[in-house]
This record gives sequence, structure tokens and C-alpha cells, in this order.
Amino acid sequence: MEKILSKDRLREWVDALDDCEVLAPAFADSVWNYARVEAETVIDLSHTNTINPPKQFAFPQREVFFRFERADGVPRLTPTLPDPRPTVVIGVRPCDGRGMPRNDTVFSKEFKDPYYWARRERLVLVGLACNQPHSPNCVCQSVGGAPHAEEGLDVLMTDLGDRFHVKGITAKGGELIARGGDAFASLQAGDPAEVARVHAAASSHPQRPVAELGTVAEAIRARFDSPLWEEMARHCIGCGICTYLCPTCHCFDINDEVTNPNHGTGERVRTWDNCQFPDFTMHTSGHNPRGDLGSRLRQRVAHKFLYFVENHGTQQCTGCGRCISECPVGIDIVAVVDRVSRA
Amino acid sequence: MVNVDALRGYAADLLEKGQVRAVIGYRRGTAGVLAQPCTIDEAGEAETLVWDPTCLNNLARYLVEDRQQQAAAQTRNKTPDGRPVAIVAKGCDSRAVAVLLQENYLKREDVVIIGVSCEGSGVIDPRKLAARPEGRWASRVDFAGADAFKVTVGGDETLIPARDLLADRCLECRAAAPALNDVLFGEVVTERGLDEPFRAVKAAQGATEDARWATWEHHFDRCLRCFACRAVCPMCYCPECVVDSTTFVNTPGTTAEEKATRIRWCERSASVSESALYHLTRAIHLAGRCIDCGECERVCPVNIPLRLLNTKLEMEAFEQFQYEAGRDFGQASLLSSFRDEDPNSFIR
Ligand code: SF4
Ligand code: SF4
Ligand code: SF4
Repeated sequence: MEKILSKDRLREWVDALDDCEVLAPAFADSVWNYARVEAETVIDLSHTNTINPPKQFAFPQREVFFRFERADGVPRLTPTLPDPRPTVVIGVRPCDGRGMPRNDTVFSKEFKDPYYWARRERLVLVGLACNQPHSPNCVCQSVGGAPHAEEGLDVLMTDLGDRFHVKGITAKGGELIARGGDAFASLQAGDPAEVARVHAAASSHPQRPVAELGTVAEAIRARFDSPLWEEMARHCIGCGICTYLCPTCHCFDINDEVTNPNHGTGERVRTWDNCQFPDFTMHTSGHNPRGDLGSRLRQRVAHKFLYFVENHGTQQCTGCGRCISECPVGIDIVAVVDRVSRA
Repeated sequence: MVNVDALRGYAADLLEKGQVRAVIGYRRGTAGVLAQPCTIDEAGEAETLVWDPTCLNNLARYLVEDRQQQAAAQTRNKTPDGRPVAIVAKGCDSRAVAVLLQENYLKREDVVIIGVSCEGSGVIDPRKLAARPEGRWASRVDFAGADAFKVTVGGDETLIPARDLLADRCLECRAAAPALNDVLFGEVVTERGLDEPFRAVKAAQGATEDARWATWEHHFDRCLRCFACRAVCPMCYCPECVVDSTTFVNTPGTTAEEKATRIRWCERSASVSESALYHLTRAIHLAGRCIDCGECERVCPVNIPLRLLNTKLEMEAFEQFQYEAGRDFGQASLLSSFRDEDPNSFIR
């Protein structure tokens, strides 16, 4: 399904989704981030990529698995499977769209994670193609994507100046467009050519190449014990920016958070975790198999470009550029992959 | 002006003569406009050193890393190379080194401080640069006197008033040249007149208590607990932090009972209460120690105004005790000293 949506009628479409939680990028505190669309919100889709990717809407940083308490000496568990309203995220950039099916794979291949899927099944991603890259660190095309890639998105919008071209990609996406009713118009004769022109122009911007993508996995395997990793990680400060902001990093920790020890009351909670923190691999014995910064950098890069390829047949990096732009010390996954490939 | 070639030559000479085992400095990054930290072990690599307004990191952080590695080598019964390490230091980096010396974390003879002047201006705030048209595509930023930066985008060079790009910490900086140094490149500029010290925190504390709490709830709510603020801070050098899940390292001798009954001061959940605990604990642990390099605020991906927390405490230290962290490594530290004339009106 393909339609045209005049920009001044976007709000009409959003208003028709009144049973849904609708989120859109908003510029607050000097960063773009997703925020709930309220009655008075003016939706501004001139955003660069949001600082947080949309993975949080299926995989929140904190998920309660169940609550526990002790009543008359008997432990009691209360399940807390999430039951969210349908959630529509508007303005998802195509790199982040491609991140979602990768997360879906992780949370379903061997074991279908009920918490993830309770949210994911009610999540609708409305993408917005990029008419130009947002920074020199956008590398979507170098990892097999495109500024107008459809993978993972339910709807793809393309900015045509005063109007959006809106394409339903999945059945869910088609239904969402149908709910906009009259807000949408049919395509005019010149529109398909115009969309093709905008997409081609966006793709023509040069991007930094990610080595020879096909040979990267092999190169990483061959250089597993190389001193390069330690050298490249020499100034890494071991924070969690690269993983927490990544649209496809999905590691987690599970803890019991006790609120009242006398009554044995509390919650079992899943929170994001992070391969760059030293305690991530700390054994109860005190031994840490990834005790240095080099092995942790290698882990992250190898997960994106080797292990994920081995396990699931594709790279896990979708080229959003966040880990590059936000790294406090300039560690650059494109340069890292490049050096390992050419070593 | 700092003569960068002279700086490189000085670093190369130190390495050539074997007077230091490494030089910690800045080099061009591979992505974007910012310089990145580097450690030079061979004289030949000194060519890669740079000094410009994109040299944001507080390099004293790497002296801490270095000391930890030296200590680790010692526990492995290796005799570490005992020669000093040299560090390229702007005003705030040198103040951080002074605090590390004052706290006996480092010994004066273990570090050679290569001071660089901030040319009467300071370093840029990358968010201010990114907010300008084409700012994200800048390939270079250079000093252009005290009042301007020269920004290069593609082939075009533009002069931008320094005030529009300077990091907030630099606007409020009281000592934009490294007072503590073994050699200084560039001139000491004392007159700056950009912004009064503590301006931002003074403005923020004008709000009512309710309004301030609402503001900080809003900020703590979006904290990801990526701990970049702590990781980048040269003063956050505790080997174990109370907020970590494995607080206090397990050894083969730690019993199961000990592990099970260990107090967790801070839950892993990035909720307002836990993040407030983290940030307030950190701020208190930095009282009289934070030298306002602003790195914690700079690296925060969600832009939480962390400087306000630390500068609030530094303002109290200054106004009540005339104490400035990093001013003089010979002074007694704020929390370990007492003078008869110290105000005590807050003791109730
Ligand atoms: S690895 Fe970096 S560039 Fe790739 S998807 Fe993750 S954050 Fe984006
Ligand atoms: S850098 Fe920012 S998001 Fe990360 S822990 Fe610190 S305050 Fe929170
Ligand atoms: S608390 Fe922040 S401003 Fe203070 S020394 Fe640490 S990183 Fe610098």
C-alpha cells in the first residue's frame, strides 16, 4: 500500500490512533530522543538519529519478571507479563529499523522470550527514510543497508518536501495507514519517480566503507589473538555508551530487588547489561576471563561482525554510527574493523 | 600561540633521551572532528601529537590508568619500568594532576607535565558545534586568537566567536593555563572575562526546592547508567565503586555466605531513585576534589547537566573555606583539614 500524506495532515493520522501509545522524536536537553506524543505536541521530523534507538520499546532497560513476597511464611510469586497498549513509533531511521529483526532473532531463536514478545507484538515501527546522512559516521550502506531500507519497518515514509510518501510494508503497517482514512491521498502520476529520485539522491552520498564486508568475519577470526586489540583499546575507558546506545546490543542481567527484607518482598528484574563493564564476565571465583580492555573491545566487534554472522547469517551492526559519534575517546568501529581486516 | 612542532620536538626529545617511558597526549581521531587521547612510546610517533580546541579529554585520567597497570605488574612480580610518564596538560588537566599528587595517588617525580595554554579561550563543546548548520561535518577547529575559533567544513573556513562554541566549563574557568607544569607551551592568559565563576550553578539554585527536585527527577529519569561520567573522571579512581553489582572483588577465598549477604547499596535498575543515589554519592565523593574539567557532563550521551552537582559543592568549598581543588598540591585537602576560623554554622 502506497499513499501520500500532506505534512499538515500528519497530526490527523496520529489523532486517529487514539488507542495507541504514539512516540516521536523530540529535541529536548540538546538531544533528540523519543517522547510520547501528547495533544499539544508539535511533531517535528527534522531529527537526526535519536540518541536512544527504538530497541527500548521491546526490550526496556528494566523489565520486571515477577513480584515475590512471603505471606504467613509461604512464598508467593505474582507474574508481571507486560500488557502494553499498542505502541506506534514514528520517525524510526532505517538503520534502527534493520536493528529490530536482529533483536527478534535473538529473543526467539532457541527460546521465545515472553516479555520481549509481549511488547514486540504490539509495536509498530513507522520509519522515515533519510534524505541525507546525519553525520560522517552514518555507515548504513557499508553494512548492507540503505537510507531507505525497509527491513524491520512496518511503514516507510519518505519526505518529499511538503508531503510524505507513505508505504505500508507489513500487514500491521497497512492497517495503521488504513486507520488514517482521509488524511491520506492517492499517488499522483509523478510521485513514484519523485520517490525514486529522492532515494537515489540519498544513496549517492559517499559513506565510509566497512572494509571488505564479506571477509571481515574471517579476518577477525584469524586475528583473535592479535595484540592489535589491546592497542586499539588502550584509551578505552570501559563505559557503557557504545552498547547501551546500539540498536542491536541486547545483553542483560537478572537480579532480585528486595524492597522489604522482613517480608521477603521484592521483584525479579531484568536490566540491560554490557560487555564493556569489567563485572560482566566476572566469575563468582573472582576470575575474569575478559579481564582487559582489549578482550572486551574484541568481544563487541566480533559479536557484530563474526559471531552474529556465524550464528544468524548476517552482520549485527546496522551502521547507525552512534557508538562512533558518542564514544568519549574516539574509538571507531569502522576504523577498528578496517585495521583488523588489513593487519 | 602554542607551537605544536616545538611540543612534538619536546616530547620526542624526552623519549629519545629515555627520560620518560611514555607521553600521554592527543592525536587526530579517525572519525569526526575531535582529537583523541593517545600514548606515545617511541620518539618517532611524537609527530602525531596535536593541540587544538578539540582536545577535550582530561588526560590525567590516563595517569590513573597507568598507575593501576604499574601496580598490577608489581603484583605479577614484574619490575615495572620506574621512569616517569609525561602528560600534555591544559589548565584543567594540570589541576587534576595536582589533586592526584595532593592525595598521594602519584608522586611528583613520576610525572612530567607538558603544559599547554588554552590561548585565552578554551576547548569547544561539540554539541554547540553540531547545532550549527553543517557543524556535524566540520573537519577541523583551530584557535584563532582569544575571541574566535576557525572552523573548517569541506574547503570552507569560517571564524566563529569563541563564546558561541566554548564549553561551559571554559566559560566559567578561573585558570585557563596549567599552573602546575614542568614546561609550558603558549602564553599564560589570566584575563578572560567570559563568564563569572559558578554562574550556572548560581542561576540553577535560584529555583524553589520543589522545582529543583522536579528538574533533577527529570534528569535522573533519563540516566542510562552507562557510567561514562565516572569512567572518564580522573578523580573517580576507586578500584571498586559502591554502585557496582560486584562491589568488592570476589577472591577464591570469598565464601558463599559472604557473597550472599553482601549489601547492595544501589540496584542495577536505572530508576530515578537508584540513579539519584549514584549521582549524589558521586558528587559527595568529589567534594573538594572536582576540578571542573566538565568531562562528566561532556560525555553524557543524554546530556545530564552533571557539572551543576559538582560545581555546587566546589562553590561551597570556595565560598566557605576559600578552597580551590587543584590550586596547589601542597595544600591540605579540604576534607582532611580543619582551621579554627572555619565556619561551622551548618553543624546543628
Ligand atoms: S555497532 Fe555501532 S554503528 Fe553498528 S549498529 Fe551498533 S551502535 Fe550502530
Ligand atoms: S554519562 Fe549520563 S547517562 Fe551515563 S551514567 Fe553518567 S549521567 Fe547517566
Ligand atoms: S567530577 Fe566531572 S568535572 Fe569534576 S573532575 Fe570529575 S569529570 Fe571533571
